Amino acid sequence: MKTYRILSLLLGYPKADWLAHHRELKEALLDERLLPPKQLGNVVALLDSFTVSDLLTLQERYVALFDRGRGLSLHLFEHVHGESRDRGQAMVDLMNLYKSKGFEITAAELPDYLPLFLEFLSVCDPAEARETLGEAVHIVAALAAKLKDRESPYSAVFDAIIALANAKVDTAFVAQAIEEDRRRDESLEALDREWAEAPAFDGAGENACSICPTAQPPRAIAPTAPKPAQEAAR
Amino acid sequence: MSNFLDRLTYLTRTPETFADGHGITTGESRDWEKAYRGRWAHDKVVRSTHGVNCTGSCSWKIYVKNGLVTWETQQTDYPRTRPDLPNHEPRGCARGASYSWYLYSAARLKYPMVRSRLLRLWRDAKATHADPVAAWNSIVIDPEKAKSYKVVRGLGGFVRAEWDEVNEIIAAANIHTIKTYGPDRVVGFSPIPAMSMVSYAAGSRYLSLIGGVCMSFYDWYCDLPPSSPQTWGEQTDVPESADWYNSGYIIAWGSNVPQTRTPDAHFFTEVRYKGTKTVSVTPDYSEVAKLTDLWLNPRQGTDSALAMAMGHVVLKEFHLAGKSDYFDDYCRQYTDMPFLVQLEERDGRFVAGRTLRAADFKDGLAAGEHADWKPVVFDANSGKVKVPNGTIGSRWDKSAKWNLEMRAAADGSELWPEVTFVKKHDDVVAVGFPYFGNIENDQPIFHHTGHDSVLDRNIPVRRVKTKDGEILVATVFDLLVANYGIDRGLGGGNVAKDFSEDIPYTPAWQEKITGVPAARVIQVAREFADNADKTHGRSMVILGAAVNHWYHMDMVYRGIINLLVMCGCIGKSGGGWAHYVGQEKLRPQTGWLPLAFGLDWCRPPRQINSTSFFYAHSDQWRYEKLEVGEILSPTADREKWKGSTFIDCNVRAERMGWLPSAPQLDRNPLEVAKGAAASGQAADAYIVSELKDGKLGFACSDPDNPVNFPRNMFIWRSNLLGSSGKGHEYMLKHLLGTQHGLLGKDLGESGGQKPQDVCWHEQAPEGKLDLVVTLDFRMSTTCVYSDIVLPSATWYEKNDLNTSDMHPFIHPLTRAVDPAWESRSDWDIYKGLARKFSDLCPGHLGIEKDLVTVPILHDTPGEMAQPYDVKDWTKGECDPVPGKTMPSVVVVERDYPNTYARFTSIGPLLEKLGNGGKGINWKTEEEVEFLGKLNGTHLKGAAAGRPKIDSDIDATEVILSLAPETNGHVAVKSWAALSQTTGRDHTHLATPKEDEKLRFHDLKAQPRKIISSPTWSGLEDEHVSYNAGYTNVHELIPWRTLTGRQQFYQDHEWMRDFGEGFCVYKGPVNTRTLKSVEGKRDGSKEVALNWITPHQKWGIHSTYSENLLMLTLNRGGPVVWLSEIDARKIDVADNDWIELYNANGAIVARAVVSQRVPEGMTMMYHAQEKIINTPKSKATGNRGGIHNSVTRVVVKPTHMIGGYAQLAYGFNYYGTCGTNRDEFVTVRKLHNVDFGDEVPATAAE
Repeated sequence: MKTYRILSLLLGYPKADWLAHHRELKEALLDERLLPPKQLGNVVALLDSFTVSDLLTLQERYVALFDRGRGLSLHLFEHVHGESRDRGQAMVDLMNLYKSKGFEITAAELPDYLPLFLEFLSVCDPAEARETLGEAVHIVAALAAKLKDRESPYSAVFDAIIALANAKVDTAFVAQAIEEDRRRDESLEALDREWAEAPAFDGAGENACSICPTAQPPRAIAPTAPKPAQEAAR
Repeated sequence: MSNFLDRLTYLTRTPETFADGHGITTGESRDWEKAYRGRWAHDKVVRSTHGVNCTGSCSWKIYVKNGLVTWETQQTDYPRTRPDLPNHEPRGCARGASYSWYLYSAARLKYPMVRSRLLRLWRDAKATHADPVAAWNSIVIDPEKAKSYKVVRGLGGFVRAEWDEVNEIIAAANIHTIKTYGPDRVVGFSPIPAMSMVSYAAGSRYLSLIGGVCMSFYDWYCDLPPSSPQTWGEQTDVPESADWYNSGYIIAWGSNVPQTRTPDAHFFTEVRYKGTKTVSVTPDYSEVAKLTDLWLNPRQGTDSALAMAMGHVVLKEFHLAGKSDYFDDYCRQYTDMPFLVQLEERDGRFVAGRTLRAADFKDGLAAGEHADWKPVVFDANSGKVKVPNGTIGSRWDKSAKWNLEMRAAADGSELWPEVTFVKKHDDVVAVGFPYFGNIENDQPIFHHTGHDSVLDRNIPVRRVKTKDGEILVATVFDLLVANYGIDRGLGGGNVAKDFSEDIPYTPAWQEKITGVPAARVIQVAREFADNADKTHGRSMVILGAAVNHWYHMDMVYRGIINLLVMCGCIGKSGGGWAHYVGQEKLRPQTGWLPLAFGLDWCRPPRQINSTSFFYAHSDQWRYEKLEVGEILSPTADREKWKGSTFIDCNVRAERMGWLPSAPQLDRNPLEVAKGAAASGQAADAYIVSELKDGKLGFACSDPDNPVNFPRNMFIWRSNLLGSSGKGHEYMLKHLLGTQHGLLGKDLGESGGQKPQDVCWHEQAPEGKLDLVVTLDFRMSTTCVYSDIVLPSATWYEKNDLNTSDMHPFIHPLTRAVDPAWESRSDWDIYKGLARKFSDLCPGHLGIEKDLVTVPILHDTPGEMAQPYDVKDWTKGECDPVPGKTMPSVVVVERDYPNTYARFTSIGPLLEKLGNGGKGINWKTEEEVEFLGKLNGTHLKGAAAGRPKIDSDIDATEVILSLAPETNGHVAVKSWAALSQTTGRDHTHLATPKEDEKLRFHDLKAQPRKIISSPTWSGLEDEHVSYNAGYTNVHELIPWRTLTGRQQFYQDHEWMRDFGEGFCVYKGPVNTRTLKSVEGKRDGSKEVALNWITPHQKWGIHSTYSENLLMLTLNRGGPVVWLSEIDARKIDVADNDWIELYNANGAIVARAVVSQRVPEGMTMMYHAQEKIINTPKSKATGNRGGIHNSVTRVVVKPTHMIGGYAQLAYGFNYYGTCGTNRDEFVTVRKLHNVDFGDEVPATAAE
């Protein structure tokens, strides 16, 4: 499925080699027609925009967006496990998934890197790819919303990924993520809220510590929402 | 009966039961269990530690699965201690436990990064210049181009780059700088080698090979206690934390043990179960205050008053009362108390002068060579003045009498030095002592008293006939007692009969200054001394950064050290001073030195004391507000100092060979060497004539001249700009040339006193540095301000060594997984750079002669350079004589195209010149030969036949094989070498371990205890815990000072001029940073508070302070603590945003309003990152700064002294210190919080 592969490229660091093939990429997208028309149009527009900009400018934009902090990190588990020790095991499980399909990671990247994950899906059986992508779609949707909030054209890629997935987006997760992201600046009240310390014990026993190992068998990508106490400090 | 027929042959009943039906066997899937099994399964467990700049060196198990680090736990396999001593483990703290996050964090640096503006300039230049060096030249000589990338430093705009490309830029810049301006214009800063010594050595080896300058950290961080070199001739040597358990009485003085020494604090708690009393001395109700039996809370910055009062009590009740034979014997043998001091007449009164020397007598007292450097005592046995064994003259005269035996150096006769003349004197005269406690501080929280500036006190003296006539002399002890203001029945004023009299330095006097009740002081002093007397020295003071960061820190430290020395605690198990601030003992130091500074290829390396460097080159001197006259002693000759500024003092110190210089001369040293060769003269003769003719000058005389700018700077293993950049905003403006928040005016604008010896330029330069390169694994504040950022390996991704002063083990950092993304170990980064540098050299640099100036160095015979008065050759007071009255001059040959070959091999100088340290030298051919076998040798190239240092493990083996601490054979050799000087056999300390040799893989199996070595003053064996000064006391090895003893008295002319011959009370200085910003008032209520920056609980320096776990435990962003009283004054409630500012800059943070903090003080935990949650400051209009934004360095002249025994320069040993505690800030509530808009500097602009 070339569409997955192209989306993977688009989320990678802008490089002269694949930008040179932009026509080929565009044709493949149009050929495959895996994406609904609206999303397809936006992705093609983004691809076109790459050809008119200077490469260093594109790279600078990319670094400013994706290399600078955890808010828009392209490493999926950053948004699920953050700094918890669960992250190591989750990455190991994901690696095992790749291995079970006969793939090894040879690039210097972590298994939860979204472009890598998309490349893996591109060689999966279509139904399976949609299914697997469904597990991560909440994070993708959250990223899409954050990028839209910042009026970044990159949101087109994330919208396209959502369209590919065979799953309903957990709107609560997205809403929370976008709210967290908006809180990164501006109003005094939002800042205060962000700084408020969550009670260590709320009496109900539900507000389990998000950094302790969970007893549940970890899934490839568990869509647990970040806990306020953890996110509060961002 | 058989059950045969009951058993089925073909079928099994499901489910089958067993255990009488209590268990059943089922065949259903148990795959779900895998999750549990797999959760704690791993492929391997690797030992590593966290090489942050913390003294922990804690052992951790790193669990690796499928090449990924999954979790970490504390190790518990340290070698046991001995019976009746708790074990070390488990070591670790919450900070270390949260570390593995860094590996895979979004904040991790993944690729080499360059600011796109620079990259674009570079690629354009490369398009027109095939030669990279020419390309770099075309950028930096064009002011427009150079400015265009400098002004956006700190404003983002990074892009990723390939290793090859960034290496090319850096190498081209280095070559261009060396060729155009000189190798000493390339500088590098990295702190604390002990935390990862190979990583440090990687950069310092590269710099040293190319002739670049390594910058010190210990003095710059203000963790260096100059009083240690002053008193003992040793940088810092302290007990391991296990030795706390041997103590009978512990005072934690400005050291927050449970918070900052977490893995060691258990010894502090456990020893209380043995009945040890603990006392804390902190101005705030800190964590350690809660832990101890008694809490004394002097006003911050007044600790020396408290220490002086305690000394007053001990001297009076123990020494003068003759209560302790132990104290008496100890002080007679191990301190300078019996040494003779000349009394000089000045302004109609006597003052204490220099110590009397053998050379003052007709025949030099027949004491042999170096009579100028042999201080004398009065021998009770013979009734004559004699030179005892062990003075610095004996150290270097090859007489084998450098020991602390009670013998006369001339004839070996037994000696009984008289400590006091009080019973048998020729006269009693009044001697004037300077008093500084009457100086008024601008800030009313610091109190002063009304006593006179000179306090005359009666002293018993004897008349002695010298070759210049009869003079009056007194013992150090008699002067010391008078200095403490104790009445001895000799009449006269300014001495107290009773503790309750208001006379400096009684307990009652100190109460007015510190606020601590006199009775408490008397009680603690008595108990401390009483315990020391009964246990023969088992009283200890753990002291910390809190008291060391004041401008007059020497007075606090000497006050405390005096207390310990007079109670005989130094060199005794369970006793002594325990200063755990920043130095982290580099135990295998002498194995590391050749690797780190390329001493195997060329000597000497270039080194600089960073405080003076930054003071000059970030132009902080241009904004000086303190005047030399303010801190001058009332007994000094003021005429001599008239018109002098602090930068003048520093320039003089450089010219007189006291302090090093970087850059060194005002001309490229490669050119100077050529000129010397062309002249046909020897290099030193040539330099002297050029200097005399004024054709050549020192770069320090004109730091704002472009030829004297430092041009390229490397920063690695450090957050220099985010954590330790005192005068942060000055650095931004002048060194980097970017946006800054500086609010004050320079001397040109303010009309202040300009320096005499430094050229003044009306327009100060901005952006002196052409290239700033930082190596780090996270995007720190320093990275944000750099031009090129190189991603380095973390502590689980490289092989390295780590040691600590807290425990006696040497510990590995181990490569558990490969460096993630494009990151590389520091070793590999500098190795790659060395290769590129070598490749680009042809056509620009070949084999070159480089003229290096070297200051007069401690622990070399050269330290006996200037025995008497200070003489400046530039003023015609003496001739310029290299190595004597000015720096030495050495021509070093550099083989630039073979830098890589040299970097990766051991050079021939180790076999030729031997190895050693601290004045001890031994042969080391066997070890080099062994390394050739262990690491292999190069087969071809410039280093053919030389042992390899290819990998980081090879580098660790070099250290381990060469150092006495890790190679028993070398230990025996080194002790034998020392025995030659002392005339006593010390080899018994190492012979039992002669065959013990540690390899890197041994350390991976278990942290290993080091072997006792003569370059340290403690022993590591099965019977005693490591404690400083132990071999001085038990092996009679002298301290490396003028007298060879612990010195109460500092007789150097500058010490006396600044009133620090003896320890006195000096309060905080006036930094005057509030008045000039009064115009920034906006009508809000304001309060002026003292700015204190202690170490934190949720980070170690800047590391961890952007870690989400630590931020969550703290408040998630920059916070500042203030008292309830001060908060009320400005209507601030807990968690409100506040702004803090002064002439140096501004900070914006949340308020933590707490009862913990006393009125008049505000605290910001050290180094919270600017990259996290920092809104705009109203005062500057820019984003609020870091804790150092409101600081500026003020250098102290006494720290510049050199060429004088223990007061001679050593890298990270002596020098000016980056003090910052005397500062005040204006605090107000911030009503509008504005985070501002991030406008990235796009390449397109």
